[in-house]
Amino acid sequence: MTLLELKNVSVHYGRIQAISNMSFSVEEGEIVSLIGANGAGKTTTMRTISGLLHPSSGSITFGGKDITRMKAHVRVMQGISQAPEGRGIFPGMTVMENLDMGSYGRKDRTKISEDLERVFDLFPRLKERARQFGGTMSGGEQQMLAIGRALMSNPKLLLLDEPSMGLAPQFIRQIFKIVSEINNQGTTVLLVEQNANQALARANRAFVLETGSITHSGTGKELLANPVIKEAYLGVG
Amino acid sequence: MSTTDGPTLMPDDAAAQDIADREAKGRQRKGWFPGLGDKWNALPRHIQWLILIVVVVIAYLLPILNPPLITTDPGNNWQIALAQMSVYALVAVGLNVVVGYAGLLDLGYVAFFALGSYTAAMFTSPDSPYVHIPYLWTLPLAMAITMFFGVLLGVPTLRLRGDYLAIVTLGFGEIVRILATIIPAMKGQVGFQNVGHPPGTDSSGQPIFLNSNGTPWYWFTLSVIIIVLLAAGNLERSRVGRAWIAIREDEDAAEIMGVPTFKYKVWAFAIGASVGGLSGALFAGQVGFVNNQKFDIATSILFVAAVVMGGTGNKVGALLGGSLVAYIPLRFTAIAEFKYLIFGAALVLIMIFRPGGLLPARQSLLAYGRLAYNKVKGALGGNTVPGPTKTRPPGQVATEPAKGAGNE
Repeated sequence: MTLLELKNVSVHYGRIQAISNMSFSVEEGEIVSLIGANGAGKTTTMRTISGLLHPSSGSITFGGKDITRMKAHVRVMQGISQAPEGRGIFPGMTVMENLDMGSYGRKDRTKISEDLERVFDLFPRLKERARQFGGTMSGGEQQMLAIGRALMSNPKLLLLDEPSMGLAPQFIRQIFKIVSEINNQGTTVLLVEQNANQALARANRAFVLETGSITHSGTGKELLANPVIKEAYLGVG
Repeated sequence: MSTTDGPTLMPDDAAAQDIADREAKGRQRKGWFPGLGDKWNALPRHIQWLILIVVVVIAYLLPILNPPLITTDPGNNWQIALAQMSVYALVAVGLNVVVGYAGLLDLGYVAFFALGSYTAAMFTSPDSPYVHIPYLWTLPLAMAITMFFGVLLGVPTLRLRGDYLAIVTLGFGEIVRILATIIPAMKGQVGFQNVGHPPGTDSSGQPIFLNSNGTPWYWFTLSVIIIVLLAAGNLERSRVGRAWIAIREDEDAAEIMGVPTFKYKVWAFAIGASVGGLSGALFAGQVGFVNNQKFDIATSILFVAAVVMGGTGNKVGALLGGSLVAYIPLRFTAIAEFKYLIFGAALVLIMIFRPGGLLPARQSLLAYGRLAYNKVKGALGGNTVPGPTKTRPPGQVATEPAKGAGNE
């Protein structure tokens, strides 16, 4: 079943067009990757889906419901949760306070504690650091916190914006492993990455973004094998 | 749920973490008196209450005690000085909701103060041709009117961020002052004399609330401050307070956590404005005279300086900052002329050496931290969360968040 669908979405910053006529969909249970270079419109796409930006034309449906004009804080309740680029944690709050903010819109206390346990199972490190200020943690830990916090809203769709940005290689592998784990537990994942290798290897399907438009699409494996993609994004060719 | 995929620390990660830990320790914001907030939170509830009661009693006794060295006599009447300090303290507490909690830089707060003053003046002064109502009724009226204008200003401007918001609020501050000059009904520099006061006469038939007697005004304003502080404390610990802190930290992140950021920013603006209006009405009553001369930009900046000096985001810090800003020129009359120079220099020094202000905000976040911790503690079936306890020893965090002024 289609969980998320973008139809002919265009996004402008003032007069500058960042995304033009983009259409793609995400099926329930998938990992979908969007790859592309700097300035291709990856983060704009993510912010448009989470509701921080609104399209100038086109429509977005989520779970069969039109959410094009819906505000970001309402979309969270619908089941869309984003771990923003550059991690975007609350630096002056402790890890626990950050996670607590993740469940801000929820009232089902028992379910919240279950989700907290789930996050601590995925990221034991966060449990150890529960009372440390978010801003004083290492980059990898902040990324874990951003993902953990996004999971605290019990999302149907998890948006991950460049989870590997600025991380050491072993951290990148760990983060991607955990992304697969989260997906196995039943959460659909839409991933935006510059690290095309890992992003394609983990994805069911993938799209390549170039200057605001999708230029290639296919399964992760197909794109990994595509010579054009290889040369442009994988550094081999 | 498998944990085998969880990240394990590589040796160099461990080293990096070690460095991060040490940095974290160094970066912990300490107050003017290091660890005071922690020590306070470590005290049992009944001791906290006892200390609070003693502090409040001393505060009420200040006009009678007239402590040597601290007193502003003979240069300025001590009781009137106290009344003015209390008004400034209330202003700072109100502005702290906007600047401190929600992180919205409002440089035009004096406009709300002015609106409150004019409300009290125009509804009570014999110079005003309008309906006259008892002075005490002007207090809620001033709050309602300023709250309305807070929303009116907030709805269009709170879509702006940072510098833009500061500039627009700065403009609003000037608009009110200029309107007071050009609208005939607001009587420009001539102003309104004999602004009303609360009722009551003493045994000799004299009104209790005289402009020349600061003590009753001080006691009255102090009582108002205590009520406002209790309300602010409750707000801080509520969902609204958490939302404000999140907005201050990162507005986009707050929005995608499900916080209706725009709504809560307007709320912060409106609540802050109403406290500004309240303090304006108290100011008008105490001074007894309102004209367009007291509501300039410099005053507005002074209000922001009070909050920043005291500790942005900490209501007790704001209280201290507001009192100090009023107190210093009254106490040291020789330097009163240079007050802006001195406050400017003090601000620069505080920003360099104590970026969090005299009483930094982290203390106010602690109450929220405790709530979150207790929730988790419940969630994990009473198991305590392991890890470093730099800010709160486990014995104390489990206590309920303490109520009352000045405890976080």
